[in-house]
Amino acid sequence: MWKLIFKKEIIELLRDRKTLFFMIALPILIFPLIFGGVAYLFSETLTEAKEKTLNFTVINAAPDNQLVAKIAAIENLDLVTLEQVPDGQDEIKRLIDSGDIDFVVELPDDYASNVLDAGQVNVKLFVNSAQLNFARERLDEVVQEVSDQRQSSAFQSLGVSETIQEGLIKPIAIERINVADERESIGASIGGMIPYILFLLCLQGAMIPAADIGAGEKERGTLETLLTSPATRLDIVMGKFLTLCTAGVISALVTVLSVALWTVVLGQGMAFSNVGDFMASIGIVDFLLVFLMLVPIVAIFASVLLALSIYARSYKEAQGYMSPLVFIVIVPVIIALLPGIELKGIYAWVPLTNVALAIKELVKGTMDYFQLLAIFGSSVILAGALLYFCIYWFSKEKVLFR
Amino acid sequence: MIKITGLSKKFKVENPKKLSEQDKKDPRLKGRFFHSIKNVNLTCQSGQVLALLGPNGAGKTTTLRVLSSALEPDNGSIEINGVDVVKNPVEARRKIGFLSGTTGLYGRLSGRENITYFGKINGLDDAEIEQRIEELAQQLDMHSFLDRRSENYSTGMKQKTSIARAVIHRPEVIVMDEPTTGLDIMASATVISFIRSLKASNTPVIFSTHHLEEVSELCDAVAIIDKGETTFEGTIADFAAKSEDGLHDAFIKCLKEEIN
Repeated sequence: MWKLIFKKEIIELLRDRKTLFFMIALPILIFPLIFGGVAYLFSETLTEAKEKTLNFTVINAAPDNQLVAKIAAIENLDLVTLEQVPDGQDEIKRLIDSGDIDFVVELPDDYASNVLDAGQVNVKLFVNSAQLNFARERLDEVVQEVSDQRQSSAFQSLGVSETIQEGLIKPIAIERINVADERESIGASIGGMIPYILFLLCLQGAMIPAADIGAGEKERGTLETLLTSPATRLDIVMGKFLTLCTAGVISALVTVLSVALWTVVLGQGMAFSNVGDFMASIGIVDFLLVFLMLVPIVAIFASVLLALSIYARSYKEAQGYMSPLVFIVIVPVIIALLPGIELKGIYAWVPLTNVALAIKELVKGTMDYFQLLAIFGSSVILAGALLYFCIYWFSKEKVLFR
Repeated sequence: MIKITGLSKKFKVENPKKLSEQDKKDPRLKGRFFHSIKNVNLTCQSGQVLALLGPNGAGKTTTLRVLSSALEPDNGSIEINGVDVVKNPVEARRKIGFLSGTTGLYGRLSGRENITYFGKINGLDDAEIEQRIEELAQQLDMHSFLDRRSENYSTGMKQKTSIARAVIHRPEVIVMDEPTTGLDIMASATVISFIRSLKASNTPVIFSTHHLEEVSELCDAVAIIDKGETTFEGTIADFAAKSEDGLHDAFIKCLKEEIN
């Protein structure tokens, strides 16, 4: 009997334009368009800021006209000579705020180009950091080049060899040798985010039809008819529960596949080649394990959503109960991201957190497969308990006829 | 045959302070419990149509919900052709065709799909369902809209589909909660004609209504519930004999306050 109910719910789900939009169209078209659009705008804004012509002036340029000339020669920087030199930081601020000048360079009075005479000189750069113009970054290359030349000439005049120069500047250097393979390195960087995204996608996917499947049916008056049919409460719960599970899994799969597809379509050559190599290194067994671990997670979400939906008097009330779940689900994933939290001991038994940790380990390729027992054990027990509660909840008249 | 004996059902009031002044004065409210029905008795024989009458809030819908096993009674028994509804609800449901007070359909399914779904839940095979839908579509004049999505149906179309859904499995007894409420004259006439055909096929029908002309036209028996208790049960002749001024006056005389 539950198969009949499941089949009917799926047919209804597939005919609901709103659900299809959120489950299929949004991940396939809208999400990539939004994220692609934001990335494009971000990139355009950065390029524009880097290439924008900036006006600048120099206070006290006399001690090092050579440096000032080099700065003025930088592409897209225009040196402006002011009739009246600004006096003090307030005047400089007013000048920058007026928009006539983007930044001001001030050389100190005791400036000397010979390091052995003056030591380190402090050149001031006045800039409004709230404005995106990369003034500091544009100056850095030239200033670094001049600094290196002067440092080198000072060492030469002191008769210090190049090897000793390096030792004087940095007596001890640490050479970092990464023993992790590419998979482990990439996995450590992105492995923590994957469960975060997958959990939310599964929850979101199940949430879309959940309000309609319980509260919606109650509101329309079809639930009463179903309750007086030979379908048992168990059949009804199982049919609806499996529908939510299916929606959650499909939504997550569609989104993940859509992201992969768009990565290819948008021709992110280098990135895709790295991602492809990385994906290939994970292996089918670990992919399957990630998917299998999501099954009890989706079951947990589906049970909670169904219980809330059937308790609610109306579709809107159900949505109100469900919305905070998005924030609640994040908590166990954040715990898994905290430093020092590893997939062992008690954390291997904490549902959701253990799956988040395990997905990260699987992606990195450092999974202790023995922990799967604790992960599946605790997840299945919680999912089963919640499903049992859902069945019990569905037998309560005060819930069904609120 | 449907036999209800000493039926009672109470509900816990979640927040008594939120009740209206009128509800607070209702004698059925005792502490945190509202005794919706108390000691309801009625019998509907094969081939009989019984009208369940009563003012709004009298307990008619609760009685029908308990009868259809959507709610479990606190006390009393319900027997449908020898099956105890409380002890064997699933078996009893196969014998009942229940039409709820709302014309709720699955909007994204067509009328045919709505009916088919309940046919399958009741264990009918595809051929039986197809044949039965054809019969019902003919009887209830549904051919013109049967394959359209039901979300765009008029109230009359929805009610006809709901009725077909309730009787797809040829139930032994029919229970209807205000089947003609909100319908236009043509749709009401079709529904009344359908109930008459059920009577002709010897199927006992219990339906609640506020329309006394339907009672005089269709019914063999009448039961009146007021403030959760049966205040009258008898034949239409017994009911009519309550007053020389018509059924409306007879109905008033059967209400609890009048009796007391």
